[in-house]
Amino acid sequence: MEAVAQQIPLEHFLTLSGILFSLGVYGVLSRRNAVLILMSIELMLNAASINMVAFAVYTSPELFIGVIFAIFIMTVAAAEVGLALAITLRLFRNRATANVDEVHQLKW
Amino acid sequence: MIGMSEAWLLPVIPAGAFVALVLLGNYLPRKGDWIAVLAIFASFVLFFPIVKDLADALAAPGGFEGLANGITWLEIPGGIFELRLGVFVDQLAVVMLGVVIFVSFMVQVYSLGYMKGDRRYGWYYASMSLFAAAMITLVLADNFLLLYFAWELVGLCSYLLIGHYSERRSAAEAAKKAFITTRLGDVGLLIGILLLWRQTGTFDMQTTFEMARNGEIPQVWLTASTVLIFLGAMGKSAQFPFHVWLPDAMEGPTPVSALIHAATMVVAGVYLVARTLPLFELADGATELVVAVGLLTTFLSATMALVMSDIKRIIAYSTINSLGLMMVALGVGAPAAAMLYLFAHGFFKALLFLASGSVYRATDQLEVERLGGLWRKMPFTAVTFGVGVLAMAGMIPLSGFWAKDEILVGSLDWGGYVVLTLLLLSLPITALYMARLFILTFLGHPRDEHAFKDAHEAPASMGLPLLLLAVLTVVAGFVVFDQVGRAMGFPGGIGEFVFLEVPEAFHFDVSVAIGSAALVLLGLVGGWYLWRGEAEPARRAGELAPAAYRTLRNKYYMDDFYQAIIDRGVLAFSALVAWFDRKIVNDTGVDGAARSTGLSGYLLKFSQTGLMPNYALAITAGVVVLAIIALVIGV
Repeated sequence: MEAVAQQIPLEHFLTLSGILFSLGVYGVLSRRNAVLILMSIELMLNAASINMVAFAVYTSPELFIGVIFAIFIMTVAAAEVGLALAITLRLFRNRATANVDEVHQLKW
Repeated sequence: MIGMSEAWLLPVIPAGAFVALVLLGNYLPRKGDWIAVLAIFASFVLFFPIVKDLADALAAPGGFEGLANGITWLEIPGGIFELRLGVFVDQLAVVMLGVVIFVSFMVQVYSLGYMKGDRRYGWYYASMSLFAAAMITLVLADNFLLLYFAWELVGLCSYLLIGHYSERRSAAEAAKKAFITTRLGDVGLLIGILLLWRQTGTFDMQTTFEMARNGEIPQVWLTASTVLIFLGAMGKSAQFPFHVWLPDAMEGPTPVSALIHAATMVVAGVYLVARTLPLFELADGATELVVAVGLLTTFLSATMALVMSDIKRIIAYSTINSLGLMMVALGVGAPAAAMLYLFAHGFFKALLFLASGSVYRATDQLEVERLGGLWRKMPFTAVTFGVGVLAMAGMIPLSGFWAKDEILVGSLDWGGYVVLTLLLLSLPITALYMARLFILTFLGHPRDEHAFKDAHEAPASMGLPLLLLAVLTVVAGFVVFDQVGRAMGFPGGIGEFVFLEVPEAFHFDVSVAIGSAALVLLGLVGGWYLWRGEAEPARRAGELAPAAYRTLRNKYYMDDFYQAIIDRGVLAFSALVAWFDRKIVNDTGVDGAARSTGLSGYLLKFSQTGLMPNYALAITAGVVVLAIIALVIGV
């Protein structure tokens, strides 16, 4: 770990995660298909995980806070994807579409 | 060795009994009444070594100023505030303790018979224990704050016990009336205590007195706080104009009336004034106020007692009468006389109440106009009641006579003949209504055959306290004689030991004694003339002055006056407040806020599209805007 920290500066990690996060945001906003939106959300979550791990390594490498957080985020993401895919499946069954701009029943 | 330093045990034991009864009462045999009785008996036993210790301390060279002992419970450093739990033992406290503990003990024993089979028997004994603990704390408190705490606690117990038969509306109303009326005075007491604290920076009584003596309290504040403290005493001791609660308090069980509303709690006001008498003597006009209130109370209550028809109410008015006398004694600077009267009064008034309780148990009747002739069925009760009546009337040689005589002599020394004459005038009236009470209840022919038929003597647990109290009623007055005290082992006589510093030694004035005895006899004979047989002369006397009779019957219209104030003033103001609360606070404020939230929600909901991409865009845009703001203001 310390070897990594000596070779690669923190900014590189942050830049990487920033790029990933921006891609995710772009995907969420531009895609119509619910499955693709979910994949974009996964990108954003992973960008956050990278941030966590990178900061943890550079600030307190002897503790595993960042790693634990990353695992935690993965778990939450898995649960969330399971739920969201189930909703998407029901949506497709009921309305024969997985495009989010074609469903707007959830309002007044 | 138990001595004065262990005096804190006296209130702690009944308090423990209260806790035990509340927590475990229902699981114990006999609902745990024996715990309460044993606890007060333990306090009664412990009382004697404390008196002995006090006697030794007094006999020791160098004198004795009282013994303070306690712990600091709460302290804010820097001398800003200190809360102590402490006891202060001196002669005054011991006299009061003797009455409180002994009468509590007697009444609890009596209640074993009287309250048998009551629905809330366990709770009754729990309340009695709590009362005993609070009352003893009140007597022993060495600082004003602890005294006030105990003062409120006895008020609470009084409320609980008056309302013991709370299913009966009149009892619930009476409990409320007693609580609220005394509370009016208690507010004064609290403000008075706080004013004193502002001036002295301490709640400790002895320190406060010392500072007052040294002139460290400005006169105007001293007078104000003294009068306010007296207000508290007036409420508790049912002095005019707060006396209205005491007759109604007779809705409680009779033993409660005997203990709380005759022997102990109502004389707490007298005790408070006696305790703080140094302040009264230093304040401008305070003693005159005490005398005036006492005299007024004496006269009002004595005249009202003449026409009441309920045994317990008549005795209640006689209690107010006695309390007025004690206040006069304090006002004229004869605390020894007041305490002697308090001592004697505790016994004979408890006796009167307990005997009337026996009458009620036997006949289910409290209206004297429906009783009569009971001496044939209940000779023992009649004799003990008669002893109490004679003592209350002030007949020589019962205890009431000696105590009352001290008050008369004290008032003569203080105000010449004016106060003395007024007091003497009240004596035949007192004798008159006490004679009426006895004659209508026990002599003559039974007016209600049904009540008379089943009348019988009470069981031993009720008879024994009556007997003991009757004996004490007869002999308690003899403590004024030094020989009696010496025979009991007190140096210099119990009178000198207990009741006073030397300058106030009992002095017997033969002419005053003869005069008062003659007036009492006049009252008794007058009562016999008016109410013997069919009470024909009394009826004629009533018809002679119907307006006066009506006024007395209606208690000088004071209850109606208060009712009018409550109806027109308090309730009208309450209606205004209620209107403000309902219309302004509730309808406009609470409901208005809710309705405006609802309205804005209704209007805003049309901006919803239900399309997920719109929301995602809004969230992202929001984050970006926030980020830009943060960058610009540089957080």
